Amino acid sequence: MLNIHLIRRQITASTHQSVVLVLCVVLSMITLVSLGGFSRSVHSSFLRDARVLHAADIIIHSHSSISPGLLDSMTALEQRKAIESARVYEFYSVVQTVKNPGRSVRRGKKAGETRTNKREPQLTDETGPVMSSNAESSEGEESLLSSIKVVEPGYPFYGTLELASGRLFREVLTRGSLVVEQSLLDRLHLKVGDKLRVGSAVLTIRDVVLQEPDRPVNFFALGPRVFVSSVDLPSLDLVGKGSRVDYTILVKVRDEKELQRIANQLRDASIKDRERVETYRTADSGVKRFFDNFLFFLNLIGIFTLLLAGIGIQSSLTAFLKEQERTIAIMKAVGSRSRFIITHYFMVVAVLGSIGTIIGIAASFLLEKILPDLFRGLIPPNVELTISKGAVAEGLIIGFLVVIFFTALPLFRLKEVKPHAIFGKEEQRSAQSRSTWLTGSTSVIFFILMVLWRIRELKSSIYFVLGIGLLILTSFICSEGILRLVKKWNARNLILRQALKGLFRPGNATRPIIVTLTASLAVLFSITVVEENLNATFVRSYPPDAPNLFFIDIQPSQKDAFARDLAIPAIYYPVIRGTIMAVNNEPIDREAERHKRGDNLAREFNLTYRENLLEDERLVVGQGLFREDWPEVQVSVLDTVLKMKELKVGDTITFDIQGIPIKARVSSVRTRTRSALQPFFYFVFPDRVLKDAPQTLFTAVRVEKKQIAPLQNRIVSHFPNVSIIDVTETVRVFARVMDRLSSIVRFFTLFSIVAGILIIISSVFATRHTRIQEAVYFTILGARGRFVLAVFTLENLLIGLASSLIAFVLAQTGSWLICRHALDILYKPFLGISILMIIAMTTLVIAVGLGASLAIIRQRPAAFLREQTEE
Amino acid sequence: MNMLEAHSISKTYTIGNRSITVLDDVSLAVAQGEFLVVEGESGSGKSTLLSILSGLDTSDQGRVLIEGRDITNLNEDELAPLRNTTFGFVFQSFYLVPSLTSLENVMFPAELHGDIRAREKAENLLSRVGLSERASSFPYQLSGGEKQRCAICRALINDPRIIFADEPTGNLDSVNGKAVLNLLLELHRERRTTLVLVTHNQEIAGKADRVVTLRDGRIIASIAHA
Repeated sequence: MLNIHLIRRQITASTHQSVVLVLCVVLSMITLVSLGGFSRSVHSSFLRDARVLHAADIIIHSHSSISPGLLDSMTALEQRKAIESARVYEFYSVVQTVKNPGRSVRRGKKAGETRTNKREPQLTDETGPVMSSNAESSEGEESLLSSIKVVEPGYPFYGTLELASGRLFREVLTRGSLVVEQSLLDRLHLKVGDKLRVGSAVLTIRDVVLQEPDRPVNFFALGPRVFVSSVDLPSLDLVGKGSRVDYTILVKVRDEKELQRIANQLRDASIKDRERVETYRTADSGVKRFFDNFLFFLNLIGIFTLLLAGIGIQSSLTAFLKEQERTIAIMKAVGSRSRFIITHYFMVVAVLGSIGTIIGIAASFLLEKILPDLFRGLIPPNVELTISKGAVAEGLIIGFLVVIFFTALPLFRLKEVKPHAIFGKEEQRSAQSRSTWLTGSTSVIFFILMVLWRIRELKSSIYFVLGIGLLILTSFICSEGILRLVKKWNARNLILRQALKGLFRPGNATRPIIVTLTASLAVLFSITVVEENLNATFVRSYPPDAPNLFFIDIQPSQKDAFARDLAIPAIYYPVIRGTIMAVNNEPIDREAERHKRGDNLAREFNLTYRENLLEDERLVVGQGLFREDWPEVQVSVLDTVLKMKELKVGDTITFDIQGIPIKARVSSVRTRTRSALQPFFYFVFPDRVLKDAPQTLFTAVRVEKKQIAPLQNRIVSHFPNVSIIDVTETVRVFARVMDRLSSIVRFFTLFSIVAGILIIISSVFATRHTRIQEAVYFTILGARGRFVLAVFTLENLLIGLASSLIAFVLAQTGSWLICRHALDILYKPFLGISILMIIAMTTLVIAVGLGASLAIIRQRPAAFLREQTEE
Repeated sequence: MNMLEAHSISKTYTIGNRSITVLDDVSLAVAQGEFLVVEGESGSGKSTLLSILSGLDTSDQGRVLIEGRDITNLNEDELAPLRNTTFGFVFQSFYLVPSLTSLENVMFPAELHGDIRAREKAENLLSRVGLSERASSFPYQLSGGEKQRCAICRALINDPRIIFADEPTGNLDSVNGKAVLNLLLELHRERRTTLVLVTHNQEIAGKADRVVTLRDGRIIASIAHA
């Protein structure tokens, strides 16, 4: 029969350890419920419905205009009323404000028609887009690179495109109209009703888009969204051969059962390697991929924190039971069985665990209020972050299991307490006992199963468990090494000597503290160092002489006029779009390539032609760029390509260059002599091969920051088809996203530091009696208060410093591996920041250790001696 | 000048909602080099008196003077030098620092004092009491008698002028108890140290220069032995 009074009193008698145990449970619940809740919110808000995410049942995608065969197949299906379709064109272009729209003209032109710079003004009425001839267009005040999306009626087939006015998208986006993102209005100082030049047309802004169903987040966009009706496409004069446009056809099937059959039919009619036909079930949404990866990573951090919280639970319970040892010994001396005692203490754990669970869930709900600010800019503003019942239920179950498995060993070991412990006799318990191994093994198996459940991928789970195991093992080995050295150190200074001895005080848990802190600090330090290296490579290291304005999609016929307008010496690189069909006559597996991390051969490449190396190139293999004794078509490859596929000089690559297969022999391998932001090309052909192919030109120049806007305006006024990318702005966007992502990861990693701190506090309280005893003895023998304070401070300093230094070494090693082998960027150790982190963490450990010891330091000798005498 | 004087010492403890008067208007004086025994039944207040005389505890009323200096209102930092060099303590439960060896325990007060000969002095003292071979043993490795001998060495290393001993043989068997007491007395005579010893053992009391008897917190007798 349970003794409720005994349970209650035992909890209140060991208040400190009870509180620490509760806090460890709180920490584990926050980790489980908050992350789980966030993950479910994101999935249910905008990732769950794949149809909405793609706005269609079937998605056809190509980087060039859709082939006639596929179009015919679609027309046949439409005539049978089996499907509806809507074409979507996406591309970047610089839009411009319009001071004075000038005379109204209209230009009737089909998409795909070769453009010229000459336009003949025609009179028309005022409906529809307004064209401005070169002679009469005024240079707008401001211009901005924007993401243009031209859509046919029907888009989106699923999901709702929300507008600020609340009206229906299909009613607003009519001929001559635009729907834009608010950020465009803000940056160009426009409002609804104002006019905007897009390409060769001047259109009217009719509304503001709040939410796109197939683009729920836009943090990777280089410019704000601009929607244009497909009837205005010809007047834009931006889509032509060689233009950098994403062609998409969205298809809605009438009968869901026909989905796969229709998709197969369309796929059969498509040009393989150029046109992708996928259903909403199989299509890979970039946004979903990003969030799946990001949440996966956060999940890993959460599991890591859970593990440390579990260690904290075990540590604090062990200390709690140690304080109860005499009571347990007395209970056994008067006849209690081990089962009775274990059941009682299990109830204590259950009570404390329940309290921790309730507080943890409440804290999770509070944390949900902070999460929107933390994730601002990464998730749509209207996404409601809530903690679902499912997240709470999952958190409760896993939390309960974590408590059970991490408290099993200390509870089980109560069997080993003997009645003669009443006399305060310390007995060394064997760590080799069968029960210890059995319980420990069960806990490890549980942990692995939990990881598998949370991650749901066998391979990743195994890697993660092995990684954690390696981290903890390495931390253990390093801490063991340091402690052994310290033990042998015979310090002359009395305070240092006492502090060193304090590390080995019975029950001090120095080793678990150092291992836990080291592991969590290593993760935190690694994230910081990797982020700094990414910043250094892509953000801060922008070379002063590197070009900062890139001009793409210049038509060859525009070159001379463009060069005059640019008025800056520049190199013009021809660009021809192409894809790779085969290597050494073996077709490439596009699906497998797309699933590779990093760059892959399945994408479209920018090909070029020239006869010489660039200034920052040199040959790695080959005597010259091309060989004179080879009659066949040749291609020089950049060494980066070799990381995607093993190639050597003499191998062949078959390209699809705008529908024409070209087989080329690898004639040389180049490398770049500096990794600055200079233009480079993976594949270079001889002049004669691609000189006459449809192409655009690309150039990059360096311009003073204040000259960027006027130059941009001038260029876009005369050459609206040219896209201008301000690289410094792009870098700023990238830096902002990276900063936000790493802040979020660091925020959740801090929870693991909290776990380490709780273990420190638990250890201080576990050794409270011994510490008081030491402090009183020192005082009786004539030591001043500051002597005792100095000893405890130094002891914590040693623990903090040991943990931080080991973590520093592990983090530097791990960061080097990540930077050099995973991210392929240069590595710097960032010693300054690392030292600052070491100092900060060591200070934190000292503060926590001393804070928990203050009451001990203030203990008066007489009170302690009296207690000892009474006992 | 007396080595130690106590004037009208009173002390009351509150336990729960009960007040217990442990000492009631106790006054005594101890001459330099005197061996004084404070005896009484359990609960008579003798240990409390010793704590107050040695500065380990404070009285509610009264004064304590050491060599004419009033130590009643000194704070812990001001008492520290007295505890380090003027006083030596020997307790019933030994109170050796568990994480230090015998040698380190004995050296500790001297090291605190900055004595560069701390090790040499400690080794000599341990040798004097027959513990040379136990110098590197930890307290848990020593017998009761060995622990108390170690504690005595620690109490003497800084040549204190007063030794306070609270039931030094209380946790020892009769053989060890006798040996320890004889050692204590021998060293007291050798060094002319004032020795204030608390005990309920009549045999020990018989060896003192003077015996003060406490009952219910009051001195009921003070008898000098010839």
